[in-house]
Amino acid sequence: MFDFFKSKKTQEATKLESPGVKEQAWRSQKLKTSLKENLTTLHFILADCSDVVFREFNFAQLPDIRLALIYVDGLADKIQVSNFVMRTLSLEVPPALPKEYKISKAQAFDFIRDRGLCIHQIDETDSLARLIDAIMSGDTVLLVDGHARAIINSARGWEARSIQDSKTDVVVRGPRESFVETLRTNTSLLRRRIKNPALKIEVRPIGQITRTDVAVIYIKGVVYPGLVTEVKERLSRIEIDAVLESGYLEELIDDNPLSPFCTINHTDRVDKVAAMLLEGRAAILTDGSPYVLTVPTLFNEIIQSPEDYYQRYFFYSLIRLIRLIALIFFVTAPAIYVALLTFHQEMLPTALLLSIAGQREAVPFPTIVEVLLMDLTFETLREAGIRMPQPVGQAVSIVGAIVIGDASVRAGLVSPATVIAVALTGIASFTLCYAGTLSLRLIRFPLTMIAAFTGLFGLITSLIILITHLASLRSFGIPFLYPVMPLSPAELKDVVVRAPWWAMLTRPHLLGKENLHRMKAGLKPKPPEKRK
Amino acid sequence: MKQKLFLILFLLFITLNISGCWSKKELNEIAIILGTGVDYTKDNKIQLTYQLARPAAFGGGGMGGGPGGGAAMNQNITWVISATGDTVFDAQDKLSQQVSRHLYLGHNVVLILGERLCRHGVKDVNNFFHRQPLSRGTVWVMATPQEAKKVLESHSELQITSAQAVGFLARFRTGYAVKFRDFSQDLASRGTDPVLTRVELKNQGVAQGPGLEKVHHHQEIVITGTAIFKGDKLIGWLDSRETQGLRCIKGEMHEMRITVPSPIYPDKNISLKVIAGNTKIEPAYQKGEIKFYLTVRAEVDLIEQQDEEDFTQPEMIKIVENKAAAEIRQHIKTTLDKVQGEYKVDSFGFGEAFHCKHKREWSMLKNRWDEEFTNAQVYLTVKVKLRDTGMQGRRASLKK
Repeated sequence: MFDFFKSKKTQEATKLESPGVKEQAWRSQKLKTSLKENLTTLHFILADCSDVVFREFNFAQLPDIRLALIYVDGLADKIQVSNFVMRTLSLEVPPALPKEYKISKAQAFDFIRDRGLCIHQIDETDSLARLIDAIMSGDTVLLVDGHARAIINSARGWEARSIQDSKTDVVVRGPRESFVETLRTNTSLLRRRIKNPALKIEVRPIGQITRTDVAVIYIKGVVYPGLVTEVKERLSRIEIDAVLESGYLEELIDDNPLSPFCTINHTDRVDKVAAMLLEGRAAILTDGSPYVLTVPTLFNEIIQSPEDYYQRYFFYSLIRLIRLIALIFFVTAPAIYVALLTFHQEMLPTALLLSIAGQREAVPFPTIVEVLLMDLTFETLREAGIRMPQPVGQAVSIVGAIVIGDASVRAGLVSPATVIAVALTGIASFTLCYAGTLSLRLIRFPLTMIAAFTGLFGLITSLIILITHLASLRSFGIPFLYPVMPLSPAELKDVVVRAPWWAMLTRPHLLGKENLHRMKAGLKPKPPEKRK
Repeated sequence: MKQKLFLILFLLFITLNISGCWSKKELNEIAIILGTGVDYTKDNKIQLTYQLARPAAFGGGGMGGGPGGGAAMNQNITWVISATGDTVFDAQDKLSQQVSRHLYLGHNVVLILGERLCRHGVKDVNNFFHRQPLSRGTVWVMATPQEAKKVLESHSELQITSAQAVGFLARFRTGYAVKFRDFSQDLASRGTDPVLTRVELKNQGVAQGPGLEKVHHHQEIVITGTAIFKGDKLIGWLDSRETQGLRCIKGEMHEMRITVPSPIYPDKNISLKVIAGNTKIEPAYQKGEIKFYLTVRAEVDLIEQQDEEDFTQPEMIKIVENKAAAEIRQHIKTTLDKVQGEYKVDSFGFGEAFHCKHKREWSMLKNRWDEEFTNAQVYLTVKVKLRDTGMQGRRASLKK
């Protein structure tokens, strides 16, 4: 019995283990001349990767030259690989060649590269690491016997989600496309909007294991000076095993890691990112995630929506104001409600006080308990709404509406006025940019508690502290509250209201100072000069 | 350093929490006082009456199907309680032992003083409401010839509570309305004697509909004039008509109605409404004689005419303006005769005006101002402007 184990052990010792993530020695190796040796190495590195395909065949021109194709099944476009790589190389002699033309073994590589492949984008390398990375990202690698180089054919094609409507930033009027999980598709979406060579897309892999492509995108000559260097510097600092979503990066390059407020915004709307780039910002795209980070981020983005810029400015200025009120309401409504009802009853009109007092008569809890109960219920329902499997959605929403709206009131757990106060905050939060509301949703709870302890005095004090904190934040060097603090009156044209396009002559001064003017002055439509 | 900062923040947080909930009072821990009444009992004690709202009676949403905001059937909407004591606070202390909640004065609408108390002097009770931080300066103060307790033990057909009803009456300037802060100011001033709105419980309306015949007559608080004080003691009343004169002199003429006889048709009248008005008091002091020049300006709208005076004629407007001026002059004369002649007090603020202009003389006169004022001569100028005669050139209902 012991012998059995022993023999197995010795057997294993002789067989080489394929390298794990820790062993990186192979990354510095170069390709060998012999195809056999190369294939052995690759087989060794790619051992147990059942999705990698090794395909060896003979070169049609010179049958004693063996060729090998290596690609990942599912990532490479099979039709392209078989029709435009294998067919040309193994069957079809390039027709334009004279019969007597013979290729020597030494010329084979160059011949194949220059005349033998019908692939739009090829590359060559002699580095094993580059080769493996290419295979892993979906490229097809062609090895030629007798050459210590490989041709990388970019014949990628995999199953991907099609481009759909944005799920988080919904508009009535405006482009509907949103980003998808594939980086290349995403960059193409941006390029389609900004057809200019100044739109730069710099890609780098981040994540030792996942080797996720991360692209820094900006418009050269518009982007805030120094921003790109700073972004790249912060990104290159990251040494992490995996980047599965842009959220990983967001927290690793944030200016204020300990603040509840996120100073890096994200969106999946193409037009929004394009607009951000045109304001002098940079965008960070992560392969595998439709959410794009835009830096620097300003607090006022929370009340901006892409639609503001597409619809008539009069009405959408009003909408901006409504969102501003909703923002204030969203953060403070439960707190003010609690403060008024527990400390400052004299601030309510008599008739209203009597009515609320009447409603509260049957409620056994203090106002703060009532409000927190309601608020937590609301948050729970909201979370359930996101997380629940779609078939049960209707059940949850029915139960939610009944629990929140009616049963809790009838049971005497909460008063109708509390339901209104909490429901209003909930509704108000939906008018704002979803990404920005998350931290404020959190802030609401301590504010409500403080209001219950110290009334309006404490509430105002905490709001002052909160605003001071917001004013102290920076996002990639830009004050978070800009242009309100530091005040730049000219910029308010795009904060509280949305000025008409012919009046928004400049980019935001601080962000777009590299290239301030957006348009020619005097574009406001007017009657033509009198015709002769 | 960081630890120190942390400690400081922590201590601050603790301080906030320890002091937390101070002065916190839940809505269902307070008894909302809507009306306050003070009487002086026969055995010379102070009787304090509170009209408390019974929140359970309105808007009981929790009960399901309860009328939202309105009063529920067959329930007392308010709870009127009273207690006697040597001071107001003494009486309140007794009340707070009977009421299961904190007595909450923040929403007090009216303070009604009974006649016995007013005759005895209101200074004794005035102070309590000054010192109460929650008692507002905007509380309407009123005097009643009845017992204040009885007045508060009423209910309103339209408003939720009778206290709110009488508060609205005061706000809409149906009489001469006095706020607590003005009342206190007048009490402290030597140049003005205070006045209060006079309210009474009166039979109002008749029971209607089948089955209601046996219901006793509904009594409602109404404003019936003005109480005139000398110092802090009540010395007499003005009726509603005389109150109009008071309002003219005090410059509170907004929304006042004037009815004048038609200049053309005998036995017919024209009604006017004052939309804006002011009063200027010009004092003069010559050789120990005090004179006042009273200038009243009023802008009026035509509200009703009983016959067909033609207001397209400027002369007609002039005539009506003069008639209205005469009417106002008559109002003022009546009031002045009563207050200055009969009660011998200065309820109008003439003394204050005199004080402003003749500071030196005032210091000699202020201690016997009421006597001096009684002898003072008041010269009247009334200017009325008819602003709006309506869109009708003439009455539509009359045959051409």
